Amino acid sequence: MLEVRGVTRRFGDFTAIEDTNLSVREGEFITIVGASGCGKTTLLRLIAGLDQDYTGEIALRGQRIAGTSLERGIVFQEPRLLPWLTLWDNVAIALDNAPLSPSAKKEAIAAQIALVGLTGFEQAYPAALSGGMAQRAAIARALVGHPSILLFDEPLGALDAITRMRLQEELLRIWQHEGVSMILVTHDVEEAVFLSQSIVVMDSHPGHVTANIVVDLPFPRDRSSAEFGAVRREVFGALHDNAAVKPPEIEYLI
Amino acid sequence: MSIPLQPAIARLETPRQSGFLSSLSRIPGIGIAGIKAFFAGQRYIGAILPLVILGLWQASSSFGWIEPVFLPAPLKVVQAFWYMLTRQDLLMDIRASVFIIAQAFVYGTLLGVGLGFAAGLSRPVELFFGGTINTLRHIPTVAWIPLIVVWLGLGAPAKIVVLTKSIFIPVFLNTLQAIRGVDHNFIELAQALKLSRRQLIRRVIFPAIVPVVMITLRYSVGLSWALVVVAEGISGLEGLGFLIFRAQNLLMTDQLLVCMVLIGLIGYGLDRLLYLTQRRLLRWQRGFGGSYA
Ligand SMILES: Nc1ncnc2c1ncn2[C@@H]1O[C@H](COP(=O)(O)OP(=O)(O)O)[C@@H](O)[C@H]1O
Ligand SMILES: [Mg+2]
Repeated sequence: MLEVRGVTRRFGDFTAIEDTNLSVREGEFITIVGASGCGKTTLLRLIAGLDQDYTGEIALRGQRIAGTSLERGIVFQEPRLLPWLTLWDNVAIALDNAPLSPSAKKEAIAAQIALVGLTGFEQAYPAALSGGMAQRAAIARALVGHPSILLFDEPLGALDAITRMRLQEELLRIWQHEGVSMILVTHDVEEAVFLSQSIVVMDSHPGHVTANIVVDLPFPRDRSSAEFGAVRREVFGALHDNAAVKPPEIEYLI
Repeated sequence: MSIPLQPAIARLETPRQSGFLSSLSRIPGIGIAGIKAFFAGQRYIGAILPLVILGLWQASSSFGWIEPVFLPAPLKVVQAFWYMLTRQDLLMDIRASVFIIAQAFVYGTLLGVGLGFAAGLSRPVELFFGGTINTLRHIPTVAWIPLIVVWLGLGAPAKIVVLTKSIFIPVFLNTLQAIRGVDHNFIELAQALKLSRRQLIRRVIFPAIVPVVMITLRYSVGLSWALVVVAEGISGLEGLGFLIFRAQNLLMTDQLLVCMVLIGLIGYGLDRLLYLTQRRLLRWQRGFGGSYA
């Protein structure tokens, strides 16, 4: 459904990403992994339509991308909630221009807030939310307009390990519930293997795709299984080819 | 086994421990604990200094430390207040001064926020006005009074114009700066959410600058209230500023003090109003409350 073909983005003399290709099927969950600075955010911003200064081709369902669209929901690395709006209004703002009746909007917002498990906090201001709750609210905001693809830029990167694991499970649940395509940028290999059907590995100088690893494991995945470990090693291997990245020795005691 | 006993123990101990002792220590003047509790009461802490000043004032006239011409006794001042209220037109004068600051506040705020927004949202508008306003800024408000009075006379209009200017300039400059300082991430978010320009202004830019605008308003209203007094003193036939300078010329120190106290109280009241508005508008903010332990 989403096709990125031969995309190059330069900032002056600096080439952030070069001749990058990517494709996402309808309802597919892919992750992009790569070291910091390899152009993941740059690529995601291009897909989101926040940046249109590129050469190449990005098309969603055959339509060349021109600017932002509610078809493509985005969750940033930080929650980016408007501090002067309640949680409810922060989600509702995504429907400001939706052609829906007020009651349909209300229903959609309440349902989305429930889906991310924030029922009861509708009237809270962002200052009163924990990092995990704020990021869930940001996910609800991105989802409420029912986009056909969701873009995540390291949304869980700033959270503690336990909250991150819980939100990974919730992302999976939301993905299965909504049937939406997802592109998740992360630098956490385990997260990528746990969540996605396909992992795109990127390298820098200039940013480009070096590998595309299909993860053919059933959901939900067991982080301690041998198959999981094998895919992890494969991804680390791909990253290792890029630079001197070694898989950490982790033993799971679950 | 001992679990059922606990509520009974709690019932026995609660009234004696926290009830009696804490109600005792709430009465001020009872030992260190009492004084501590009084300060912890915080609500009344602000009343201490005025009472001390009043006490010193009374003492200085009772013991004759200062001559009555320079500092009449508090009671004399209260009497003067009553006299001015019943025999003179004190209420009219108060109304004249408040009327000036109120109008100047409304016009200055509307103009400042309005033009600040226009400049903030459009570079050409900023370039058109910015330099001029930044230059006018350096001419003190007091320096404007003579010219505007020549133009508009001794009445309220001249003062309203001058004070509107004194509120307008900081509000304009700070509104513009605050708009320039809106987090670009929020602008990007608005793009991603497909907000229209109008929605961007209403939902993002306007609320983002409220904190700065409110602080500017409080600051400049305080300053302008002082300038009302100066303007009325320099050129005017009514108002608290006029009274205070007249009282000086006639050496009516009691009336002078009445005006000073009133000016202080009204200024406090104006700021209080703005403070409450600010607190209401900024409920979403969670700042530093002052205690840090
Ligand atoms: N607006 C910009 N101007 C100049 N260089 C940029 C800009 N945005 C990103 N870059 C550069 O492009 C490279 C890729 O950045 P980014 O996409 O943010 O990396 P990642 O998200 O993978 O960490 C970095 O070297 C960064 O400095
Ligand atoms: Mg990034």
